[in-house]
Amino acid sequence: MLMTADARESSQSAPAQKATRDMYIPPARKKVTDGGTAHISAKEFSIYYGEFEAVKKVNTDILSKYVTAIIGPSGCGKSTFLRAINRMNDLIPSCHTTGALLFDGDDIYGKFTDEVLLRKKVGMVFQKPNPFPKSIFDNIAYGPRLHGVNDKKKLMEIVERSLRKAAIWDEVCDRLDKNALGLSGGQQQRLCVARTLAVEPEVLLLDEPTSALDPKATAKIEDLIQELRGSYTIMIVTHNMQQASRVSDSTMFFYEGVLVEQASTAQLFTNPKDPITEDYITGRFS
Amino acid sequence: MSERPVHELIKELSGVLVQLSDKVLQNFFESLRAMKHQDTESARKIRMVDDEIDMEEVDLEERCLAFLALQQPVAKDLRTIVTIIKINDDLERIGDLAVHIIDRMPEVNAQMLESFEFETMGMQAGDMVKKSIQAFVDKDRAQAEEVCALDEEIDVMHRLVFKKVTKLMKTEDADIDELIAALSISRYIERMADHAAMIAREVIYLVTGEIVRHKGDFYENLLDSLKNERD
Repeated sequence: MLMTADARESSQSAPAQKATRDMYIPPARKKVTDGGTAHISAKEFSIYYGEFEAVKKVNTDILSKYVTAIIGPSGCGKSTFLRAINRMNDLIPSCHTTGALLFDGDDIYGKFTDEVLLRKKVGMVFQKPNPFPKSIFDNIAYGPRLHGVNDKKKLMEIVERSLRKAAIWDEVCDRLDKNALGLSGGQQQRLCVARTLAVEPEVLLLDEPTSALDPKATAKIEDLIQELRGSYTIMIVTHNMQQASRVSDSTMFFYEGVLVEQASTAQLFTNPKDPITEDYITGRFS
Repeated sequence: MSERPVHELIKELSGVLVQLSDKVLQNFFESLRAMKHQDTESARKIRMVDDEIDMEEVDLEERCLAFLALQQPVAKDLRTIVTIIKINDDLERIGDLAVHIIDRMPEVNAQMLESFEFETMGMQAGDMVKKSIQAFVDKDRAQAEEVCALDEEIDVMHRLVFKKVTKLMKTEDADIDELIAALSISRYIERMADHAAMIAREVIYLVTGEIVRHKGDFYENLLDSLKNERD
């Protein structure tokens, strides 16, 4: 929950949306046992940069513990939508929203929302790996320390668990005190995933996480997404449609700020319902 | 906007499939003609053409597999390539059926062929293949559904041949070898119509994305059992 207890009492939050998993999840991928409820929901949700409506009245449910890919041409609003989920757009002065964007039924843009708590629950990994110029250990321990964990033993546990989850422990366990900037690009990106996991988020937002990586490092990140699937709700923005089809359960296609189509990934890539989606994914866009 | 090379390539592969279907059909009609006239020279040519069909089928499949690996198509592009691969397989089987008919040639005579109306049956089955390929070219679901419906007519013809052969076998002067050959020819033509219906179902998948194979089996089986009871 995103609000303080006092704030919660004074607000009326909507209950979490019930599952519509059959709409989005192909039977072959129905392996997540306790996921499938709407973790994030948008209702007539628009995002503006000044007068310009970058995301237009989006209605959607993002199912918990599944991987949702967001695809679309440059400037279609997919990254803007992703960044709205942990309020990264707050940093842009002219940016404002209308409608509702709900996390577990709470309005992300509600008056009483605690942004720090929100960003703890909704972690983000960016296009370019951005480790802090600190040791590997300190990179991972940074978040937990910020949230009040100072016990060394406890921190060590968190660091190891996070690095293991991000499938990088074996590569760095003997050099935790070394500067993270000395790692390769692919390792740095997995370190950033580990840093996000260290504060135990529920949602992972990945904004083109492999666009700066070589094919081998990309494969490792894709494998990692598959491993984390079922434990976290994952949303990934990608320009690589093969990547979207490989890693996601559900895919959203944005065009000119409009959510044109959302379907199971298998459905969207074999038989999309909207001709604009069809034209985009088959490369027939003029 | 001009087509992208990738889409030109899909058109090209579709064109190769249509050319192959022309060759297969021509060979099939030629097998009916050769059987009617007991033309052994044509029979030899039919076998040679079938060897060419086999090679062209493999070549087209290899090109489609390379396309899948290299272009990684999705949506209608993916469905088109998958459909080409499947129709290609059906055409190769139809090609084999023409050779099977020729194989039976020494065991049959013109009078018998006429009495079983194999030419009519064969022409109708050939027409179904032609229509199913046209449905592929036009991406026409209605035309494809029409072909599926026509399959029942060929099945009825095959059942009539079966009944007639059974009856004749019970007569004293029955030439059992000849009657078995007749039954086989009927079966080959009926199989050809089945392939035409399969091609049509693949076209329905191409157009709609829905796999309609087996969906009607329950009712078809029910109808069959009722027919058998009546017979």
